[in-house]
Amino acid sequence: MTRFLLWLIGGVVLGGIIHIMVILTLPLLDDDTVWTRIAALDADNKMVVLPELAPGEPNPLGLDPVLIYGVCRLDLAQGPGYLSGVLPDAPWSVAIFNAAGVIIYSTTNRDGIGQTLDLGIFNAAQTRLLAQQQLDVAEGVLVVESASNQLFTLVRLIPPHQAMRTRFANKLAESRCGNRG
Amino acid sequence: MRFVLYLLMMITVALSVGFGLSYYALTDGRLFGAVQVGPWIAWPDVGAAAPNPYTRSLLSREASLQLGQAEGLRFTASVDADDRPLSRDCSYRIRGKTPLATGWTLVALDADGRNVAAPDAEPAMRSSGLARPNSGAIDIAVGTGLMPGNWLELTGDGPFTLVLSLYDTAVFSGFSSDESMPTISRGNCS
Repeated sequence: MTRFLLWLIGGVVLGGIIHIMVILTLPLLDDDTVWTRIAALDADNKMVVLPELAPGEPNPLGLDPVLIYGVCRLDLAQGPGYLSGVLPDAPWSVAIFNAAGVIIYSTTNRDGIGQTLDLGIFNAAQTRLLAQQQLDVAEGVLVVESASNQLFTLVRLIPPHQAMRTRFANKLAESRCGNRG
Repeated sequence: MRFVLYLLMMITVALSVGFGLSYYALTDGRLFGAVQVGPWIAWPDVGAAAPNPYTRSLLSREASLQLGQAEGLRFTASVDADDRPLSRDCSYRIRGKTPLATGWTLVALDADGRNVAAPDAEPAMRSSGLARPNSGAIDIAVGTGLMPGNWLELTGDGPFTLVLSLYDTAVFSGFSSDESMPTISRGNCS
């Protein structure tokens, strides 16, 4: 009986190790990630407004059908990233995702930004350079430091009514996004 | 012979515990990173800049556009208040109050994440489009059969999941003690 229990405990301990291995390695082994899904949208250095989602359609990105989404993919190795535009007078938010799908920064227009979206994204070396050269950063520009170069920005816009959707989407599409050389 | 049997048993236990626990952690997840309020489940760490390993695995498994911590929080419910799976054979009422937020939306999804709202109806119920009593509480009917009041009309049959997305909310952020969520009660079934 004692031997049986020892083997059983051994199995549980080994199971715990397998569990930890699975949890830690799953993000590394997955080849269908949010990054690969965004890469398929051809949104490099430009704002791409995602098409409206109809009931019954596949929704791999988990989009809310009420919201309007704008995506822009950036590579900070080409220079600091920027995202700017004037968005409609409605609730909106912006998030920056890294290649692992982790949100490194997010904010909403309730944080005193109003309608103007002006975001500068820098990697560690660019941030250091910015500090060393003591460059003036224009008022209202949100400065974000990213630990990685590969990232994408996502703007979520909540139109107050479905009838405003097209106008709001067009306004979002006018936002500019890319790298400053 | 006994050694081989013990070894096989240990391997079976190890694989069952290892993969079973991992599956549980990334689906139900209540002991690992998810929080539950009634039938509603959310992963508060999903929008954090440094999520815990379980949430990081969930991000990888779902591969969807999550909400950042400043943006809001998404709750899902696949059972009613009595822990019975949500089915399109039944009608449901969602009653109560939602945590303070700039706005919210409610959608119904099938197991593949497809919206199961009726094709000619609104794909989602939104906080600004409800008829409410003076108390400000919500009362939403969900189902395929015609129902009075605020009605999220569904189509098809089979199980479904409700997703309540709260935008610009402080719930579970440590800045709000308002964690009240509406109840989901089952009505008639066909």
